[in-house]
Formats: sequence, C-alpha cells, structure tokens
Amino acid sequence: MIKKSLTLVAAAGAIAGMVAASAAEAQERAVKIAGFGAKSGVVRVFGINSEAALKAALEQINNGGGVTLGDGTKGKIALEYYDDRCNAEEGISVVRRIASTEAIIAVGPTCSNVAESLFGILQKKVGDSSDSGLQFPIIADVAAKGGLAKISEWAFRNVPSEFEMYKSLFAWVKTQYPDVKTIYGGVEKDFAHSNATFGVIKTQAEASGLQLLGQGEWLLNDTTFSTQVREMKRANPDVVAISAHPFTTCGVLKEMQRQSVKPKLLIGLTSSSSIETLQGCGVQAEGIVIPTSFAPVTPEATKAAELVAKFGGSADLHSAAAYEIAFILKNVIESQKVMGKPDTVAADREKMRAGLAALKETDGLLGKVGRTADREAIKPFLFVHAKDNTWKVLHRPAS
Amino acid sequence: MSYLDVIDTLQSVADGVLFGATYSLLGIGFTLVFGVMHKINLSYAAASIGAAYASLIVLSVVKAPAIFIFLLAGLAGGIIGFMIYVVCFRFIPQANPLATLMSTVGALLLIDEIIVHATVGIPVPYPALFSDVIVNAGPFTLRGDLMFMFALGCLSMLLLLVLLYRTKLGIATRAVAQQPVAAQLCGISIPRINGLTFVITGVVGGIAGAMIGAAIGVLSPLLSLPLTTKGLIVTVIGGLGSIPGAIIAGLLVGGFENLFQYFRGVTERDLYVMLLLFGFLVFRPGGIFSPAAGRD
Repeated sequence: MIKKSLTLVAAAGAIAGMVAASAAEAQERAVKIAGFGAKSGVVRVFGINSEAALKAALEQINNGGGVTLGDGTKGKIALEYYDDRCNAEEGISVVRRIASTEAIIAVGPTCSNVAESLFGILQKKVGDSSDSGLQFPIIADVAAKGGLAKISEWAFRNVPSEFEMYKSLFAWVKTQYPDVKTIYGGVEKDFAHSNATFGVIKTQAEASGLQLLGQGEWLLNDTTFSTQVREMKRANPDVVAISAHPFTTCGVLKEMQRQSVKPKLLIGLTSSSSIETLQGCGVQAEGIVIPTSFAPVTPEATKAAELVAKFGGSADLHSAAAYEIAFILKNVIESQKVMGKPDTVAADREKMRAGLAALKETDGLLGKVGRTADREAIKPFLFVHAKDNTWKVLHRPAS
Repeated sequence: MSYLDVIDTLQSVADGVLFGATYSLLGIGFTLVFGVMHKINLSYAAASIGAAYASLIVLSVVKAPAIFIFLLAGLAGGIIGFMIYVVCFRFIPQANPLATLMSTVGALLLIDEIIVHATVGIPVPYPALFSDVIVNAGPFTLRGDLMFMFALGCLSMLLLLVLLYRTKLGIATRAVAQQPVAAQLCGISIPRINGLTFVITGVVGGIAGAMIGAAIGVLSPLLSLPLTTKGLIVTVIGGLGSIPGAIIAGLLVGGFENLFQYFRGVTERDLYVMLLLFGFLVFRPGGIFSPAAGRD
C-alpha cells in the first residue's frame, strides 16, 4: 500500500515537474535574431554602433515584457551579433552560418559592398521553386547604396533614401542661397557608398540648376589632396560637395584651408555627419551641411542616443536605423504570430518576410517611416551643419 | 599645355617630392633590415604607424609640444622594432626565408588590428608643426609642414648615415651585412647587431610615422597597407640594401605618384607606379645604384 502511494506521489511529482518545466520554457522562450556587420577593420565603428543600438532597443523591449508569440505566451528577443569584416565573402559566409541556426531574421550588413553581394545569394522571388537561393530574411540598417533591396524579395532595408535627401537639400539650397550658380564635386572613387552617392549629388545638383564645373577624385586611403584641391581652386565654384568618409573628407578640407579655397557652401556625405569628422577636422568642417536621418531632436531620439551610449555605441543615422529595426521586428513578430520554437524556424522566417513586406509604415525616431513596394524605407530627415565642433540642426524639411 | 598646366605640373611634383621624404624613411627601414639580415620585414610600416599612435598616449595624459611627440614616436618605434625582432626573427629559423616573411605579415595584421580595436577604427588627430605656414614662391606654394617634414626626414637620414659610416656600431652593422661569418669571427655578436638594427630602423620608422601623421593631420589604420606597398616599391627601386638608393627612390616615387595622378587621374595613378616598379625589375633589377649589368 505504502509502495503504491509512493509510486503515485512520484508520478504526480514527475508530471507536475514536467508541466512546470514546460510552463517555464514557455515563459522564457526566446526568439532568436542575428545581427552582423563590420566589427573589425577600419570600419569597425559601424558594427560597434549597430550592435549597441540593437542591444539598447532589445533591452527596452525585453524589460517591457518582451514579445507576444503566436500561442499567446511571452517571449524575449535574443540577439547574437557576428563580424563580417566589411568583406563580401565573409558576409556571405556569416549569413549562411546564421541561416543554419534558429535565428528567424538577420539585421545587417553595415557595408554596401557586402549587401550587394549578399542579397544576390538570396532567393530572388518568393515561391520560385526553380530558384535555390537562400530563403532567409535580412533587413539592412547601414548599407546605404541606393536600391539594393530590389535584388531579392527576402531583402529589406531601413536606410534613408539619399536620393530624396539630396533632392530636398538642393531645393533648399536654391531658396537659401539664390546667388549660387556653380558646384564642384569631390568623390572617394573606391568606396561603393561614396561613389554611388556622388552620382546622386551630381544629378540632383544639376537638376536644381547648378552648373557642375568638375570633380576631384581620390581613394579611400589617400593621404595627399593638393592636386585635386588645386583644380578645385582653379574652378572657383560657389558650392563644393564632398562625397567621402571622414578620413579623406578631413584631408580634403584641410587642404582646402591651406589653399584658401572658400566656397559659399560646403556639402558633405550623409555618413560624415559623425563624431569622426568633428574629431578629425572640426575647425575645417565648420559650416558643412549634411542631410541625415538622425539627430537627437525628439524625446524618442534623445532617449535612444542615451541608451545606445550606455551600450558603448554612438547614435547616428546608421545605428539609429538599427534601433528602429528592433521595434519593427517586435511588431512583425507579434502581428505575424511567430512561434519562436526550434521546429517552426522555417515557417517563422517566412512569416517575418511576409510581415515586413506587408508594412506600409513604421515608427521611426524622427517620425513615421514609409515603406516602399521594393522594400526600402522613406525616412524623415533633416539637415545638420557643423558649428563650434558639434552638429547642429539647420533645417527640418518636414516641419 | 598652357602656362597654368606647367605650373600645376611642377607644383604637383614638388608636393610629391616633399611628401616622398616619408617614403624614403620607410624605404630606409626596409632596406637596412634587408641589408643586414637579408630578410624583409613586412610589418615595418604598420609598426611605424603604431609608434605614432603610441606617442599619442602621452598627449592623453599631459599637453606636450609636437616636436616632443615626434621624438616619443621615435622612441616607441625603437621599442616596437625590438619587439618585432624578438617575436618575428630572433627565435624563428633563419634558413627558411618564408618563415620570417610570414611572421612579419602576422605582425603587420596584429598591429593593425590592435590599432583598430584601440581606436574603433576612428581616425585620431595628430599634432602638426608649421601646418599654418605657407611659403609662396612666385606661382608656387610650398607647405610649411611638408618642408619641415622633408627637412626632418633629411636630418634623420643624415644621422643614420653618420651612424652607419662614422661609428663602431655602424662598422659592425655593415660588417654583419657584408660578411656575417667573418664578422662573427671578429667577435661581433650577430644577434646583438640584428636587434640593434631593428631598434634603429624602428626609431627611423617611428619618426616617419609621426611625420606622416603630422602631414595628414590624422592617424588611421588605413595607412598601414598602402605605406607597406610604397616602402617595398621604394626599397626595390632604390636597390635592396642601398640607403642612398632608398632616399632617392622615396623622393622619386613621391614625385612620380603626383605626376601620374595629375596627368592620368587617381584611378590610374598606382598602375603607373607599379609599371615604374616593373620597369626597374626588368631593366635595372639591382635598383638605382647598381650597375646596369647587375641583372642575373
């Protein structure tokens, strides 16, 4: 009798234990997402900032109760961040590795050259059985070269449209500087983003009525710019537009100061509205106008900047996009009823893709962000200028 | 070609020659190590930039004049140079030339990655001397900081030549370079001379790194690889082991680089510099200061 009772008690205990474990598992279920970007090499700062922004946003989400999963249980979002070294082959390898895990989506990459190659290995059209491309959703936060998401229906981006930004900027220039007639360009020829954006700047400048007098070219790791700036000086333009990253932007600005090249207006590349430019050549950059999709001008943006700093990063137009993506993913996970279980990974990935593709609008740090049919973002932006070694808001086109 | 084009051409060449002094210093470092040990130290340019970075540590603690920072860069270069000797050469079998080559490639990547991790890859401002001085000579303008850099480079080269040709250490170094076995039989410690060679070239490299940082105004890990390439080109054109050759070749490469850029644009510039290198390898493989018959 005693033996029978003990057996019953043990069985009841075991069942209770299993139920409790199952409940605990449900309570602690984690939806896995991956991030990837350059965390080594000279553009390491992009990866550091993106990872910090994702972690900051996910902390907010998880501390606020996490996400509601498809079966009604609550789950946390867990992030693992990978280094692609800003190298296309490495980026592809990293994503293949991520795709073999339980991650339901990846956020990245930080470099356009990686995104361009990487999106090429994804399945082009969803449901195309003849296409053996990778069926894994990716949403880019930093890679800024225009139009990359149209490469695959599994690719999405939350990066600003530089086309719209520079179009708006030159329209504003025409109203604020009616006397400027000519422009001279400078471009870092061997960097995909700088080169592509220069094409946008040139087109928009000419469309706004400015006459392009010429262009100086240099490479990412060049150290002297005297020849290019001398040609610029000889052209005597009203506006100088530099499409380059901070290292060479600073080199050119310093050379312009030496050769006393003083245009009426200086315009810079979106990525240069960063602390790097101010650290490298704050004095020479004084007055440079740059369109950007981030500045701490709203309570949400200010809070995001503080949180990202807490995780060792800096909030800028790129990392702010990563921060926004975390909240976009939370909404998609909930609206698409993602399960977050090991046996639903493939289905969850399809749900994430479908959910992202269905979005017409998302919440951004500066306001509402529109989504286009080719999976790109239409983000609000503003113009900043370097003043007294800080970036100050010069104009908000939307306001 | 108009008058302005002629002026611009000459100005470009002058700027290139002045900046070429840094290439000369880097070339000297490569060539001296090769002359003494018959080995290539591929981490030399990265170590030079690393030394310039190291000198900034002092600036983060106390405010110091730029010239003091330059000297500190030299000191840091000497220390890093010795460390590279110990790690990449001292205990690695010398019989296999590839072993030390690969170990210095490893050191290059290691130094680069240390810099990237310490600075998050962000360019760091470097103090300059005479950066606001511009000398106007007729239609030409010469940068004060580049002229200072050129003068400092020439002084460093002169001191190095005095060291090599007017001191016992220099005699011992040249003896090891020319006849290592005979030098050893005469009581010269080869490991000591090798180590000192790395310290001396490290000091020169540190100064070169500081001069490059001062000329550009910022230091970036982006500099290591292109400077390694330039240093090697200078060494080959100047003649492996020839210090006067490295000096002349550095200035020559600096001048030609700007000339090619002026006429053919930045995207073709390096192509012509490489063609210049191949031209030397084919027609004058021993470099500038070797007899033309040196081939084979």
